[in-house]
Amino acid sequence: MIEQPTQGTYEILQDARQTLEEEGKLLAKVYNEPSIFELEAKKIFSKTWIFLAHESEIPWPGDYVLRRIINDSFIVTRDEDGEIHVLFNMCKHRGMQLCRSDAGNASHFRCPYHGYTFSNTGKLQGVPFEKEAYGPEGLDKDEYSMTAAPKMEIYKGLIFASLNPDVPPLEEYIGDMGWYLDFYLEKSPAGLEVIGAPQRWIMPADWKLAAENFIGDGYHTQSTHMSTIKAGIMRVKSPAYLKEGVQITASKHGCLFMGFPPGNYFNYPQSIVDSMLENLNEEQVEVLKENSIMPLNATVFPNLSFLHSSMAIEAEGQSIPYFTLRIWQPIGAGKMEIWSWCLVEQDAPEEFKKNSNRAFLTTFGASGTLEQDDAENWSGQTRVGAGEMAAQHYLNYSAGSAHVEPIPEDEWPGPGTAYPKNYVDFAQRHFWQTYFHFLLDGYNGS
Amino acid sequence: MLETSVETYWEAYSFLMHEAEVLDERHEREWLEMVTDDVEYLMPVRVNRERGEGDGFSEEAFYFEETRGSLELRVRRIETEYAWAEDPPSRTRHFVTNVRVAPGEKEDEVAVRSNLLLYRTRGSAPGHDIISAERKDILRKEEGQWKLRKRVILLDHHLLETHNLSVFL
Ligand code: FES
Ligand SMILES: [Fe+2]
Repeated sequence: MIEQPTQGTYEILQDARQTLEEEGKLLAKVYNEPSIFELEAKKIFSKTWIFLAHESEIPWPGDYVLRRIINDSFIVTRDEDGEIHVLFNMCKHRGMQLCRSDAGNASHFRCPYHGYTFSNTGKLQGVPFEKEAYGPEGLDKDEYSMTAAPKMEIYKGLIFASLNPDVPPLEEYIGDMGWYLDFYLEKSPAGLEVIGAPQRWIMPADWKLAAENFIGDGYHTQSTHMSTIKAGIMRVKSPAYLKEGVQITASKHGCLFMGFPPGNYFNYPQSIVDSMLENLNEEQVEVLKENSIMPLNATVFPNLSFLHSSMAIEAEGQSIPYFTLRIWQPIGAGKMEIWSWCLVEQDAPEEFKKNSNRAFLTTFGASGTLEQDDAENWSGQTRVGAGEMAAQHYLNYSAGSAHVEPIPEDEWPGPGTAYPKNYVDFAQRHFWQTYFHFLLDGYNGS
Repeated sequence: MLETSVETYWEAYSFLMHEAEVLDERHEREWLEMVTDDVEYLMPVRVNRERGEGDGFSEEAFYFEETRGSLELRVRRIETEYAWAEDPPSRTRHFVTNVRVAPGEKEDEVAVRSNLLLYRTRGSAPGHDIISAERKDILRKEEGQWKLRKRVILLDHHLLETHNLSVFL
């Protein structure tokens, strides 16, 4: 057998980027390739902002949750003064994992190995037999306090951290996308709360396939989600319900808008509709009122996605709106752990909160009737993307290129670039362009 | 030591055995006939917590929080030609053991606990998924037939190692 020289990862990526730019095609190999995953861990997940938790998961002093960025474990704590900390979950003594429970309330974390004790701000406070072990002066407590994540910032309730001390401010990173995220995050001045702990499940699918689907794939809905239309879960008239709409690229991110009957606002309760029209700015309200559209799905690069939708939970029942936030946490090439939260306005009626959560889990999450089929696609793409054929197999990302122009700036009130259709690939191409930029140019904050 | 008559135990036990067969043979519609109109079908999210904090089951977050109406939607969906997640279907085996039957709160009800091991393979890829759980059921006798009035599926997982929950447990 003749051994073929293996093409280097960089060459594969450079070729892939060039083909995407020139021909609107993507090399299938990037879907699932271990050497590319190693680069992603270094050049994306260690360089930019990664979502960890929502503030409402730790509402009280002492509350904490355990989160990860790839292989780095962090405790997200709220201290006695209400400040939030993101602390690397490794004891500074000999590196034992300090906190081993996924959530709880604690003023201190005590290391099981030798018993160092840290406050929930990360400060080392107790060292057993300190003088016997370290002499009459004791130990420099600052030196051996827990290490905070190099960067931590909160954007409208969303707690992010970065392993990169030089990462630009979070608000700058979110940039123009913030205008669109407001539709999810700012419908009420009371803010959002998570409904319980996140669902977590493992999927043999590459994180990028979910992230790119959520940034803009309006086109798949008429095929992938046909069963839910036929079954009366998605209460739409035609499978092509998502053909019309607006697709957005903004900063490194993107989203797409879905239409609703004028005045319907995805069937949100009147109190939320009122606060949304009050709380959002004039241009945002114009989009809701004049265009009768609302963001459906969105991705903040790299792996945080948003979904707003409205679905039935009873046979012949009314649509009930919900909002889910999810991260696509890679655990290797072609494998991810999904974390999925349902959030609702804190001041929404209690009955609505419960139904909204049910609408979420009827349709998304591990048992969701839409996400089940998304899972089938993403795992299938990943499986057939693992082989050698995928290294010479180019995929179509050209929808819209031949005939769709952006909406002129003076006809669209939001920032970024808006396209007047949803069966287009602009946002997904934008995702991959951003991806190649991180991997090949190195992310330096631009 | 039985908490009910042998006959009641045996009926409840037979119900679970029959239900497992119906599910493994993918007669979802027939399964739906085995639940009451006011059924509650719940699978709470479980979180890894310290011993002193209880067993970690969420009271708010669920993988399933179903009524008869939403189960009907799920079954209707499987009956369409477009339920890709179950076509080709999963191959499942519901292993139901450790069946304990106690009197229910109402006269026509019994409280049944059982252990469930769900073995599942899909497609032609190698590998299998396993879900392990305890089920706490309430069965009610309606017109001489036992039916599932309530099920709480208590997972032995804080993290599901299956790509979706497109089957019933
Ligand atoms: S490793 Fe933590 S106290 Fe020794
Ligand atoms: Fe989808």
